[in-house]
Order: sequence, then structure tokens, then C-alpha cells
Amino acid sequence: MEQGFIGSLGLIIIAGAAFALLGRFAKVPTIVLYIFAGLFLGPVTGLVDVTDALHLIAEIGIALLLFLVGLELSFSRIRDVGKVAVAAGLGQVVFTAVGGLAVCWLLGFGWMESVFLAIALTFSSTVVVVKLLDQKGDLNSLYGRIAVGIFLVQDIVVIFALTLLAGLGGGEEVTVASVFHGIGFAFGGMCLLLVGVLVASRYLLPKPFAWAARSPQMLFIWSLCWCFLVVLGAEVLNLSLEIGAFLAGISLAQLPYSGDLQRRIHPLMNFFIAIFFVTLGIQMDLGGGDWGRAIMLSLFVLIGNPLIFMFIITRMKYSQRTAFQTSVTVAQISEFSFIFAAMGVTTGLIGSDILSLVALVGLVTISVSAYMILYSDPLYRFMNRWGILRIFGGVEEEATPELPLGEAPVIIVGMNAMGRQLARRLCAVGERVIAIDTDPHKLKELPCETMLGDVESSAVLEAAELPRARLLISALQIEDTNNFLAHRCKSMGVPACIHAFDLGLIPDLLDLDVQYLLTPKVDALRQQLRELENAGLIQGK
Amino acid sequence: MTTLALLLLGAAAGSALARFLRIPVIPVLIILGMVTPLLGARQDADTLRSIFELGLIFLVFVAGTELAPKRVEGRRKGAVAVGLAQFFMIGAAGLGLSLLMGFDAMTSLYIGLALSASSTLVVVRHLKDRQQMFEPFGRLVTGVLFLQDLLIIVGIVVLLRLPGGLGEVVVGLGGLATLALLALVSQRWLMPRLVLHGNLGEEEKLLVVLAQLFLFMGIGHALGVPLVAGAFLAGVGLSSFPLNGVARGLLWPLSEFFLAVFFFAMGAIIQLPTGAGLVQALILAAFVLVVTPPLVTFLAEKQGFSARASIESGLLLSQTSEFSLIIALSGMMLGIITPEVFSIIGLVTVVTMVLTPFLATDAVTRALLQIHPSRRGKTERLVLDNHVLLLGYGSTGNRLLKALRDNGKEVVVVDEDAVVVARLRAEGVPCLRGDGSDPNSLRQIRARRAQAIVCSLRRFRDAENVLAYVEESRPKTLVRVFDDAAADRVKELGGVPIRSDEAAVDSFMEWFQATLGGTEPPPASASAEPSLR
Repeated sequence: MEQGFIGSLGLIIIAGAAFALLGRFAKVPTIVLYIFAGLFLGPVTGLVDVTDALHLIAEIGIALLLFLVGLELSFSRIRDVGKVAVAAGLGQVVFTAVGGLAVCWLLGFGWMESVFLAIALTFSSTVVVVKLLDQKGDLNSLYGRIAVGIFLVQDIVVIFALTLLAGLGGGEEVTVASVFHGIGFAFGGMCLLLVGVLVASRYLLPKPFAWAARSPQMLFIWSLCWCFLVVLGAEVLNLSLEIGAFLAGISLAQLPYSGDLQRRIHPLMNFFIAIFFVTLGIQMDLGGGDWGRAIMLSLFVLIGNPLIFMFIITRMKYSQRTAFQTSVTVAQISEFSFIFAAMGVTTGLIGSDILSLVALVGLVTISVSAYMILYSDPLYRFMNRWGILRIFGGVEEEATPELPLGEAPVIIVGMNAMGRQLARRLCAVGERVIAIDTDPHKLKELPCETMLGDVESSAVLEAAELPRARLLISALQIEDTNNFLAHRCKSMGVPACIHAFDLGLIPDLLDLDVQYLLTPKVDALRQQLRELENAGLIQGK
Repeated sequence: MTTLALLLLGAAAGSALARFLRIPVIPVLIILGMVTPLLGARQDADTLRSIFELGLIFLVFVAGTELAPKRVEGRRKGAVAVGLAQFFMIGAAGLGLSLLMGFDAMTSLYIGLALSASSTLVVVRHLKDRQQMFEPFGRLVTGVLFLQDLLIIVGIVVLLRLPGGLGEVVVGLGGLATLALLALVSQRWLMPRLVLHGNLGEEEKLLVVLAQLFLFMGIGHALGVPLVAGAFLAGVGLSSFPLNGVARGLLWPLSEFFLAVFFFAMGAIIQLPTGAGLVQALILAAFVLVVTPPLVTFLAEKQGFSARASIESGLLLSQTSEFSLIIALSGMMLGIITPEVFSIIGLVTVVTMVLTPFLATDAVTRALLQIHPSRRGKTERLVLDNHVLLLGYGSTGNRLLKALRDNGKEVVVVDEDAVVVARLRAEGVPCLRGDGSDPNSLRQIRARRAQAIVCSLRRFRDAENVLAYVEESRPKTLVRVFDDAAADRVKELGGVPIRSDEAAVDSFMEWFQATLGGTEPPPASASAEPSLR
């Protein structure tokens, strides 16, 4: 149907929101809902076609998602899990490819079809997993990092598979030399980009970014610009969008503003990635799929992949729990599997029924594994109780001490002269103070914890532990923001103390149940009277 | 992807340049877009157009969410009067001028509408940077801008449907009214329930807010209302407190992203007008720059604002709006105006926006105050000695006045607010309406002969002027200051700093120690991990 770009986008957003609202009651993971919204708009009603512009938006979503992952992880933290990621990543690829080939052959597919299906089954979806880990807040946990590492390894393998396919499709002889050439080129590019990005993050970026950070807008735009420049660089070097965006994120992770950046980019990513998942659903052509065989293959992915992971990761001395949680992340196939299968169809190597089959397997595995990832903790407890995991012989359970929560903080927003004084004085009486401002310069030389960010974003207040705070103080001279903060505090039952820089603001603030009003004008009056008294102009009462 | 990266690169460079030169970022982005040979972007016209459309919609949407009539509390009447008069007078004069320059009637209407409003984005950011949002003229100006945004949306609907005849216009306005009603329902009832009390995650909230945007545009489309009007009203549907705070937090990244690329892409579309067009653009820009300040000054004074506040408002409002670009763009897309006219309007906007921060300064205001007609004539000299001066009455002046008068002191008040001055005069307090930092006023009230001066002027520069004027003479001058640097400076100039922030912090600490200080925080882990197994 023809309704132009804005129309299509509107339908996607509206359907996405509608499904998200409906599905909330059933506790369905949002990505599954988005895919269903896509199925509704595409295969079911045919309302929306995926155009180039929509495709671009979906790609921006992927780039932003991986950029965020990079921002959250530093280079050293990812290097820590390098060994296990390579071992598990390669091990799983080999196992799933060989096992998948065997299963497909047993299910009665031809050789070429089996090869394609096996490869399509091999890849797990970085986007799905990272999105879910992000939603769970587990990206920075040990298993989260291992999972991210594995996906980077798989990404390299994807490039290898593409080279192979290009060879197959082109009808040329696929020699060992050409395959090695492909891998070598990918690795070379990866190293080049990695070195370039690391050098930039060390020497090139810190100074300009320190300058830009004084304005949140500029910091934000510069970071996005950097992200997409590196993505372009990756494209030039024949690397994937994901790798480019991830490295761009890694290179900014060391900056002191990365926390603020993450919180600012997060909503942007949510917008774009929602469109990605909906368009994914739109493109799923389930028409001639064979449900029986799809279920068999899905079971293979859902059970086989985690099994092999459990096996490899427990061998590497990680705890049973970490191994389990990492393993459940790979139990789905990737959006890339669809692209791969579609390429097979266009080159005429397989029929379109295989494409539909891949789509079916994708739908089933992505949906089920979304549940598995989000509910991996109860799942683990369940499996452990029945002793199923003991066969892998992993280390039982390492004691993971919960990070002790600090004392309930006093949050101070706005580091103007008054805010800074409040911070100093409260620190002096032994309070735990968290100071927030949007300008890193104003946070310098304070004796307390500081945080860069915009308090209108709820992520910032959450990170500042607002729900358990003893008191929130706003020294800001921005009426809207102050009222909003007062409202937030009221709804959370946190006492608030707000700067009433104009006496006309007081009635509104009192309506919002503010506990204390900072009124420099009134306090100044007292001091003025005292001074006049000292000068003998008036007599004290 | 290349297009996007290039757009972002341009936006990044533009924001840096604007910051470096201290001028608004919007015109810088447009100029950069105009001069950068965006080869890649020009190739990929589809992508550019899509991003551009999205940017446009977000710009208008966010402008709608900012429409909070509460913010102009107390100045509403003044804002309405000034806003309406400026809008229609400048609009009509712009229309006339365009006709004179030989444009056809339709084109002239577009130009007139484009000139009639001032830029919310530029002015509000300027006020925020200088912390003047809450000065009386700041409130007046924001009120004027909100009103004009609203008017211009109505104007767009009318103009776009005008070619179809009067019936079409009425249908369009009917559609607009329906949407406005929906916005009210959404603002009062629907959105608060969903977004505030719906217990949704951040992601779902964002989607709901955006779904509102697209739903309004869709409904608007069906009702024959242009997309921009739908987007604006969708924003209005989110503008009630505290919904607008949530919306701002959610939409900030999206709007910043699209704004930056939008204006840069806009520049890529504008072609620099040639010969005659260039001259016409400059004439129109000069018209806005020359006519707006005196007009607004006159109107604001009629509403009881002081000369200085009125002049500041006039200078601040003398540019065209981001909506002017949208009007021009809509007209061009429908083929009603030519690309040449679109470029002319674009250029006028760029020129006037660039000049705003250079015009709206204390120096220019002072210079204009000198030639202001009210300066001449009424100088009744007060014959006073050993009196006490209150510069700036504000909300605490009454207490000072009472304390001083109870002790038999003669007090003279200087304030800019006509209402305050009239009331005090009625009570028999000698008063001067005007600028407390102006040497003329200070001479008039014999500041050097005073016993004491209590200076509560808003701007520190004004206090410095007062101190410089009284210099070595006797009066004890109390100056209210807000930070260390200012306090030191006051001492240096021989005044007594009143540290209002310190005083406020002292009072706060007293309260804190009495209520929260010393008490143990509530046990945090009382209910965690129930041990009932």
C-alpha cells in the first residue's frame, strides 16, 4: 500500500505501541510483541512494505544498540572474557553447523538445502540478545560480557560465511586460498579498525570531548557522529555495522561522560530498535513453511545450542550458573539467517520454501529464547533443583556477594553556588551526598559522589537511587524542572527540598507537598535587616 | 548510512562552531548546510527527505509539548496583547512590503505569515543561558512566543487550504478544532492515565508518546489538517504538568538528534538566492530587525512594562521563527511558492537569528534607553538627605520598608514595575519608576547623599554600576549576591555583600539537623529475601 514514509513509520509505531500495551498483561517480552506487530502489518494485512528508509532506520537501531553495549563495557572488561568467548563461539559454530547439517539431512532435505539451513541455524542474534540483556540490566555481568564476546566472534564467522556464499553464488571455484583470503581480510580490517579506534580513544578524542561536554547537546551529537563515522569505517573495511558501532562505543567508554551518554542514547536506541523488530516481523514470510520440520529444527536450536555451550563453558572453569545463563542466550537464530537464506533464494541455490522455514524457525526460537533469557534465573533454579545441570560437572555455585548498598543518599541537583555549598555542608555533617549537574565542570572539586546527567530523564534519578534517598534537594533555577522533581519525589514518597527562587513559585511547590523551600530572598532579608541594625539605622526587636 | 553520517558530521561541526562564535546553533547549521557540498547527501535524496520530514515533525511536536500557559502566569494579559499585536502588525506590514516588492498576492501572504512570528527555540535558549526566564520581561516574551506558535499553526492551515476556496479553509479549521479537542482530552485524561499511572516501562512510555504523535497526524490527515498542525497538537496533548516533564525526559534525545540533522539538511535544500532575491531577502530581514524592536517596545510599555524591559523584549523578539521555515517549506512542497521565495524566507530567518544574540545585549539596550522618548521631560528632582534607598522592591521590600519607616527613616524606592510604584505612591512612599542602576536615576534620587542603599537588583552588573556611581561617598551599600566571585567584587568596590545563598544554606542546615539529621536511615533490607523456607 502506498502511504509514504511517514505513514508507514506511523503505522509501525502505532502498531508497536498497541501490541506493547496489549501484551504487557501477558508479560510477553517486548521484542516478541514488536515482531508480532510486524507480522500483523506485513504478512497478515499487508499494510506496510519495508522501504529503503525504513531499512535505514532499522540499521540505525542496530548501530545504536551496539554502540550502547560498547559504551557500557570497557576494552579491558571484554578482553577478560576473550578466551572463553573464542572457544565457546567457535565450538558452538562448529557443533551447530555439523549437527544442523546432520539433522537437516535426517529430516530429508537435499544437500544444498541442508548446508544453507545448517548455516542459517548457526548464527544467534546479537540484537535480540543484547536488547534483552539490556532490558534485564545484565550487560555488565560476567555472563553478559561472555555473551557479547561470543557474538563478536560469531560476527567474524558471518563474514567468512558471506565470502563462502559469494564464492558459491558466483560459480567460481572455492579454493582454500580464497577462503583464507576472506578470513585474513576480515581479521586485518578488524585489527586495523580496532587499533585506529583505540588510538583515537587514547589520544584524539578526550580533549575535544572535554570541550564538548560542557553542553549536553553537543556531547550527544558528537558521540553519535563518532559512532556513525566508525560504522562507515567498518563498512569500508568490509566489516559489519555491529562491529563498527561496538568499537565506537568501546572507544568512548573510558570518557568520564559515558554514563550520561548511555542514558541519553538509550531512548533513541529504543525508538530505532523497536522499528527494527517490527520491520523484522513485516519481512517474515511464513507462507509455505512446514510447521513439523520447523518445530524439529527449532528444538534443535533451543536445546542443542545451550547444551554445547554448557559443555564448553563449564570446561573453562566458570561456575555452573554463569555457564547456564550464558548458554540460554544462544538459543535462537538471527535476523542474519533470514538475509542469508534470502540470498540463497536469489542465487537460485535453494527454494523459497526454505526461506519460509527459516522464518518460522526464527519466529519460534526468538520468541521462546526471549522468555528463556528474561527468566533465566527461575529457569536455573528449576533445573538445578532437579539436578539436571550436574551432568556437566561445573563448579557448583560461587558465592556472589550482593554489592552492599551505600547509605541512603541525599541527592542535590544543580551545582550552582548554592548547590555546591549545600553539598559541602551536608558532607561535613557526614551525609552521603550525590551531586548532579549537566555540566562536568560544575561537578569538579566536590567532596561527594557526583553524577553527570539531566534529571528530567528518569534513568538519571534511578541511578542516583532516588527511590531510597533520604532527601532530594534542587538548587536549580528552572521552574519546570523543579516542579517536575517535586512531583517525582511526591510520587515516590521521598522528601523534597526545592529552591523557590521567586516567591511566586511557592504556592505550586506547596501543592506538590515539598518538605522544605530554599528561599534565599527571604533569608537575605534577614541578613539585610541585621546589617541595617548593625549600622544603627533600625533597632532590633 | 553515509548520508546520515555526513549529516551528523555537519551537525557536530555546526554545534561546535556555534558555541565557539556564541551565536544560535540553528542558523549556523543552516549556513553550513548551504555551503557544504553535500555530495553524498544530494545523491541519496530519498533518505535525506525522510530524515528531513521526521525532523520537521519532531521539531513541531516538541514545540507543542512546551506550550505551558502556566509559565506566563501573571503576565498572560500582557503577553496576549503584545503577541497578537506584533503578530498581526508585522504580518500585515510584511504582506504590504512583499506586495510592494512585486510578489503576487499568495506569495505575499506566505511571506507575511513567515515574518509575523519570532523564534521560540532561539529566544528560549537565549533566556535560559542568561537565566532571564523568570524576569518579568522573560515571562512576557515566552508568553508572546507561545501565542505566536499557536497562531502560526492556525495560519498554516488557513494558507495551505486557501487555494481551494473559503469552504476548504473552514473545513480545515474545523479539523483543527477537532484535533485541539482531542489534544485536550489526551492532555487531561488519556495520557496522564497511560503515562503517569500506567506503570509502564520507559520503552513503552516512549512508544505511547510517539504513537500519540503519529495518531494525531493520521487523524489530522483524514480531517484535512496538514501534518505539522497534527504534530503540534499531539505535542499540546502532552503539555500539562507533570506530563510535560516526563515527555521532555523521554523525547530529549530524539528531538536533539532530529533537530540537528533537520536544520543541516534544511540548509542543503536552500539555494542561495541570486541578485534580486538576495536584495529582497535583505530588505525583509532589515524590516524585521528595524520595525520589531520599536513596535514591541511600544506595545509592552502600553502593558505597563518599564522602558528597559520593553526594549529588551523588542530586541529579543526581532527575528523570524523556525516555523517560518516550515511555512515556506510547506508552500514550496505544494508548489504554491517558488524555490526562490523559499530561499528568500530561509535567508531572512538565518540573518535575523544570527543577529539576535548581538542585538539582545545590555550594551544595545542601554544605547536605546538613551534615545528612548521617556528619558526627556519628567525629571522632578527630589530634595533629600540621609535617606535610605531601596533599589528593587521585589517580594521582600515591604518588610525592609516597614522596618526602616518604623525607625523614622525616610525611604525612597526605585523599581521598574509600574504597579508596584503606583501602589507605593498611593501609600505616600517617595518612588521612582525606572532602572535602579541608571546614573540618571541615581542622580535624581541623590544616591551619593543617602545614608544607606539596599540593592536587590536582579543582575549583578547593575549592582556594579550602583557601586561605581556612589564610589567614595558615604552610603553603606548592601548588595545581594549569589556567589563567591560576586561577593569579593562587592567588597572590592566598597559595598557590603549579602550572601543570600549562604543565608539560605544556613537556614536549610538548621532545618535539616532538626528533622532529618542524625536520624538513622530506615533499614533498607528489612523486606528483602523473605526467609520463610
